[in-house]
Amino acid sequence: MIILAIDALEYSLVEKFDCNNLKQEYYGKTDISEFSEPRTMVLWSSFMTGKNMEREILAKGDKEMWNTKIELKDTFFNGFKNPRIIDLPGFNYVKEHHEQERVLLKNYFDAKTDEEKDKIRKAYNNLAFEHHRRIKQEFSAALNDDHDLLLGYFSVADVVGHLNFGNRTMMKMIYRDLDEIAGSIKDTYIVLSDHGMEKLGMFGDHSGYGFWSTDFNELENPRITDFAGLIKEIQV
Amino acid sequence: MSEKYGIIKVPEELITKIKERIQGTEFNSIDEYATFVLEEVVKETGEEEPEEVFSEEDEHKVKERLRALGYLD
Ligand SMILES: [Zn+2]
Repeated sequence: MIILAIDALEYSLVEKFDCNNLKQEYYGKTDISEFSEPRTMVLWSSFMTGKNMEREILAKGDKEMWNTKIELKDTFFNGFKNPRIIDLPGFNYVKEHHEQERVLLKNYFDAKTDEEKDKIRKAYNNLAFEHHRRIKQEFSAALNDDHDLLLGYFSVADVVGHLNFGNRTMMKMIYRDLDEIAGSIKDTYIVLSDHGMEKLGMFGDHSGYGFWSTDFNELENPRITDFAGLIKEIQV
Repeated sequence: MSEKYGIIKVPEELITKIKERIQGTEFNSIDEYATFVLEEVVKETGEEEPEEVFSEEDEHKVKERLRALGYLD
């Protein structure tokens, strides 16, 4: 079983750009209305544990929240013999890298001039693309290894989207690349996002639903916490 | 798949700009980027939304949203 965990993959853009590998046979929106806000850390933590983790994560506060590290035994990954999880927030993501992104994001908003903002935005995008390439390589190498569960977490659509969602060419380029990654998977896979993204001028805000797709099962408005049970069920 | 290619002339200045733009992106060459952009434009039906431009009001809104989502202190 392979899981493509894509942060902020937006249903309407998958449709618009006609990303067939991301869509697979069955696809739709997830229901995340039980959460007060579509927060990345809350949603992925809830996904891996199969239960709503909002209260627990929010209790840590906005800063400490990003240091969340849920143990293997508390996740559904534990039901697999040889799971491989790549860069997942709340589990094993490269904290320093994602921290660096948030620092640049803050610098962007603090910058006073257009030139400064432009420079920071470029550095921010480059950092996200560089990381994306690294994760992509790691993921594609892991596809050849013998794992009964492989999860790759891709953050580029979220990170770049926040400052560039109104830039259709850039977003299309990202979606095209993510679609290619999905196309390179030869086994059964699930595509899942925590939330989508909606346009706020040239910027992007989280939308109030996520995205899912499979090629084996039509799901009716699944909640993000349903996948733990679902994946365990279909595991043979 | 074998595709045939042709040559088009564009100003040097534009090439320099594209070079800068594709740095750190998935595009491996200027040709690849130019093909991608031209495909997009040719395909354009006229009913597509225009590219967005910067506005301070939007920036302010997104900043507040990012704060609510825990990205900014
Ligand atoms: Zn985000």
